[in-house]
Amino acid sequence: MSNPGPNPSSEDALIDSATYPRKVLFVAGAGRSGTSTMAGLMRILGLHVPQPEVDADDTNPKGFGEPRWVVDHHDRLLKEALVQVSDARPEAWFETGRVSTREPERIRTAEWLESHFDVNPELVVKDPRLSWFLGLWRVAAIRTGATPVFATMLRPPAEVVGSKQTYYANKLGSAHLVASWLNMLLHTERATRVSVDEDGVADGGRVFVRYGDLLDDWVKTTMHVAETLQLQHVLHCDSEQIRDGHRFVDPGLRRMQQTLGDLELPSRLHDLTAATWDELNKLADPGGDTPAVHAALDELREAYVDLYEESAAISRSSVVATEQRLKRQLRADNPPADERRGVERLPHGVRAAVPPSVRKGLRKMAGRERVEDQ
Amino acid sequence: MTVTGAGLTNLEGHTDYDIVWPWTRPEGLRAGTTAVLRVKDEAPSLPFVLPPLLRACDHVLVVDNGSTDGTPEVTAETAERVGLSNRLTQTSYPFQVARAGAEHLAVHERSVHSLAYFYNWCFAQVTTRYSWKWDGDMVLTTEGEVSIADLGWAMGSGVPGAQSIVRVPRHGLYLESDRKGYLDLGLRNAEEWGFPVGPDFVFTKAFEWEIRTTPDPVRSIGLPHGLCVELKYLDGDEFAHWTDPESFATSYRNKRKRREWTVYNALLRGEVLPGVHEIEAPVGVHVVDHVTRDWLPHAPRPLQVGLD
Repeated sequence: MSNPGPNPSSEDALIDSATYPRKVLFVAGAGRSGTSTMAGLMRILGLHVPQPEVDADDTNPKGFGEPRWVVDHHDRLLKEALVQVSDARPEAWFETGRVSTREPERIRTAEWLESHFDVNPELVVKDPRLSWFLGLWRVAAIRTGATPVFATMLRPPAEVVGSKQTYYANKLGSAHLVASWLNMLLHTERATRVSVDEDGVADGGRVFVRYGDLLDDWVKTTMHVAETLQLQHVLHCDSEQIRDGHRFVDPGLRRMQQTLGDLELPSRLHDLTAATWDELNKLADPGGDTPAVHAALDELREAYVDLYEESAAISRSSVVATEQRLKRQLRADNPPADERRGVERLPHGVRAAVPPSVRKGLRKMAGRERVEDQ
Repeated sequence: MTVTGAGLTNLEGHTDYDIVWPWTRPEGLRAGTTAVLRVKDEAPSLPFVLPPLLRACDHVLVVDNGSTDGTPEVTAETAERVGLSNRLTQTSYPFQVARAGAEHLAVHERSVHSLAYFYNWCFAQVTTRYSWKWDGDMVLTTEGEVSIADLGWAMGSGVPGAQSIVRVPRHGLYLESDRKGYLDLGLRNAEEWGFPVGPDFVFTKAFEWEIRTTPDPVRSIGLPHGLCVELKYLDGDEFAHWTDPESFATSYRNKRKRREWTVYNALLRGEVLPGVHEIEAPVGVHVVDHVTRDWLPHAPRPLQVGLD
């Protein structure tokens, strides 16, 4: 026999996860963009979603693939930073970035990540809030000796907005939701962009995945993700896992089909959104993640920052009116001490300890004698 | 210093080196970050310093001030090696600059020989909205690189709410050979290195060196320890940029320099002081790479820094 084929022992090593290097796949992107489908597929193909995870519900009957701890962690950090999950402010990135520099948060995040490598060296972490904290997770991966890799899901913004309005009963207007989508995607692209040189850097790469492609041919799409990011479990998954993948993916998941025109956005926001979607789409094409696209997205990000600042300046009166309303409400709920009569500033217990006869005398001195009922 | 007008002229009348504030230029400032390095004879260090900095920033500006060891050539070669020459700009400043301490104190801040004027000239070449003041011997760890990169793009957007300065702790790494070094974690020290580019953030004169102005109030972010090392060569003259040791002998402001003097001289005597870690790299790995890519990123957190 002239070609005996690969060494059987080295073939066995291909499916021995103990030989796989530590890796964390971060699934980013706006909510309702197929992030749950991507995370769910990765779990089926062998990566580990750290447990426990958020329970499935009517909005996502096949499950979210979101670790409960990650959701709670992000919720707390967003509150600290005064940032909303869907936040259209460009400066919100600075606020979450600032929180991410804190050593206690870095320690907490790295310790949590470390505790799950005992189960599997390849983890998948997904949460719609994740984009706000990519820097924090990148540090956690470095500290635990893992390579961070990023998959960003892309779905037409009109569909994302339509889906959010349907599933989350969102009372906000389309313009705000689209602006939040723009802010999220333009900055997620920037946050996952890295320079790679022969010395190697922390990141192990990134991919952009169209939700439509994933639903249309998940086999081809996930293999592209696995090859680009070198996800060993997916590269070496078995037949039963592939069958499970087919059982899991439902092309009917993409129920929203409205277009950007349906949203009747302000014209500049419409144009900016359409141009951003065009450029992001190029990133999902083979070989499309190029400096030319980065430069175009840089310009779009600048244009969005300008648009937001102009809009904020124009609507400043609304902010001032809201501040005044809140201050008035706060005063009504908590009257300042100096607006209360002197005796009322004393705690009730102290006032009660004063004998009734003395209290009566004090009231008389202050000219506040009680008028007895006749 | 209160900034008015389009720039500064110098006392010596070298109009070629007048300063034009970059925010007054017609094209304005663009989004992004620039690291500015003022260097003199840093050829041994730059192959370690530049790669992470080039990856973390949109631009790196290296201003040579009279090097005789091939610093400009090494700078260009290093950027070329990592494929990031497009992010590098080199220029030179021809005037002798006063050394820190007594010599600096004696020079007027509008002289081309003043550290303050030199820095203002260097940063006037910046075209981005955020800047990092960097030294030619400061090497980022892997975590430091991604921290600077992640903060940088958010602050380089120029959004008003993101106007903030950043403090970066650094730790002396004393090099005995390619494989052996001594990392000093005995001093807690963090200096301000990241600043927005604008009229509120220019350089003026302080007692021993220059200082950058800030508005009041200003937001400040402190990065964790363990993200940056400062290379010191045990076979070199690490204090040549000071007038003399007396210049940092007394003031509290100079405690870092006194610590360096103490550690450096102890190591020359063969003594490893408390807080100093003796580190040997694996065969085939340079100790600077070992410390910045492995030892520090994987050291237990919180990093034990300081002697108390």
